[in-house]
Amino acid sequence: MRENLRELWRYRELLFAMVEREIRIRYKNSVLGFFWSLINPLVTMLVLWLVFKFFLRNSTENFTPNVLAAYLPFMFVQLAVLDSSQSVLVSLQVVKKVYFPREILPLAGVIANFVHYLLALVVFFLYMFVVWASTGFQDSPFTWRIAFLPILLIVTVSLTTGLALIVSALNVFYEDVKYAISILLYLLFFLTPVMYFSENVYYSIKNAGLPPVLYDIYHLNPLATLATTYKKVLVPPGPVDAGGGLGLVQPLPMNWGLFGVTFLVSVGLLAGGYALFNRLKWRFVERP
Amino acid sequence: MSTPAILIEDLHKEFIVSHSGAGSLKTALLWWKRRRLETLKVLNGLSFQVGQGECVALIGKNGAGKSTLLSLIARVYRPTSGRITVNGRTAPLLELGAGFHPDLTGLENILFNAMILGLSRKDALARTGEIVDFAELGGQIDAPVRTFSSGMLARLGFAIAVNVDADILIVDEVLAVGDFEFEEKCYRKIEEFRSVGHTILFVSHQMESVMRVADRCLLLEHGQVSMEGAPSDVIARYHESG
Repeated sequence: MRENLRELWRYRELLFAMVEREIRIRYKNSVLGFFWSLINPLVTMLVLWLVFKFFLRNSTENFTPNVLAAYLPFMFVQLAVLDSSQSVLVSLQVVKKVYFPREILPLAGVIANFVHYLLALVVFFLYMFVVWASTGFQDSPFTWRIAFLPILLIVTVSLTTGLALIVSALNVFYEDVKYAISILLYLLFFLTPVMYFSENVYYSIKNAGLPPVLYDIYHLNPLATLATTYKKVLVPPGPVDAGGGLGLVQPLPMNWGLFGVTFLVSVGLLAGGYALFNRLKWRFVERP
Repeated sequence: MSTPAILIEDLHKEFIVSHSGAGSLKTALLWWKRRRLETLKVLNGLSFQVGQGECVALIGKNGAGKSTLLSLIARVYRPTSGRITVNGRTAPLLELGAGFHPDLTGLENILFNAMILGLSRKDALARTGEIVDFAELGGQIDAPVRTFSSGMLARLGFAIAVNVDADILIVDEVLAVGDFEFEEKCYRKIEEFRSVGHTILFVSHQMESVMRVADRCLLLEHGQVSMEGAPSDVIARYHESG
């Protein structure tokens, strides 16, 4: 492991050049170029508002920013994993002819998407600021919890990198891994509290008279815990529309226990994924 | 005796080959349809060395293991057993244009490829001028590589490989792509490369070029070195056995 990390460090400039290339290629033949990354969150915001606030009349306070706070990182995980799943396979011709640390390929996919996520996050904060300004600067939407954002980003990136390493390595040998993973991520989107809230899950379980431990089991999905943590960190707490005749409920406090579990799972996935990738990487060129 | 540039000791390489193409999760799960896999021995206990500043040619029939050997030295493959010791930085030229991205311009690809071959960003940037001059691509260098002809790709690939300050150049039969004039230029560059004490190991089917540039020649048969010596002797033996 140490040996591999040292080798990766020696090729760090290639990694950054690869990230730059990924970003450059994406916008190479487009008119709007880099603005695409800014337009996407803006349009998403508009559609979310239209659907949930206007059509469905959800009365949750700060609904749109809440959803967006979780939607953006989810999209980052999804795009980064899908992009990098193919990364080794599409570069196999290069991999067969030149030596360089192979993990650079999926890592570049993750980092390029992370850059886009950071840009989207800037748009998100601008939106929050504009809304705040339009109310004449009453009740600042920025709380002390934002200080927690860097740790949250680190956990998200290590989870994503771990997944990307595993998926990209396996996809070389089993080409349908990327289909399996794209279906899985699509379904996970609905099983993750992005468009709804952990509070919805909590009160639905309670109302149906089911054992409360189901709430914890649901949050063993690291993306579920992350989505809720992003909402609680980026948007000030307010009453949530629990639906089903329950009306508005008070928000649940941060669940540090669940976040701790997610933290451990993410770090474990990163270490395990890197180990797996390094075991398999010499066999990429020899795949039967 | 000084340390050799390349030292190969009892090198073995086996490949697992499948008769049904790439795998999928589906075939992995359907055990009654499991693929038949066979082991193919390409290199069987190969040993030789290349001294500093030497120019060595590898010849042999198709399937003798020449390209596999070069790929092993270039660290693309890992040996099944045996040892490879390389003293110095290598610039492998196993296929021209490998690693070029079609949508990026010639210049962007130069920078990127030079970095893949181990240059830092700063050094790579400093080299682009020389590379562009050598490749003689003129204004075309700012166009996307997908618009290049195969001859132009060959020139650019060669220009990068010989200009990245490597100690050892590993060439797999790629010089026969350019026109006569460019080929001459490549030979001159190879001479220059050698005159400053760099090492070259190359594979060729063109016996004239072997006679012309090689100090020593190795004949590969069935994954082993069956003869080594002066190019003229080894070529004579190769023609006899064929």
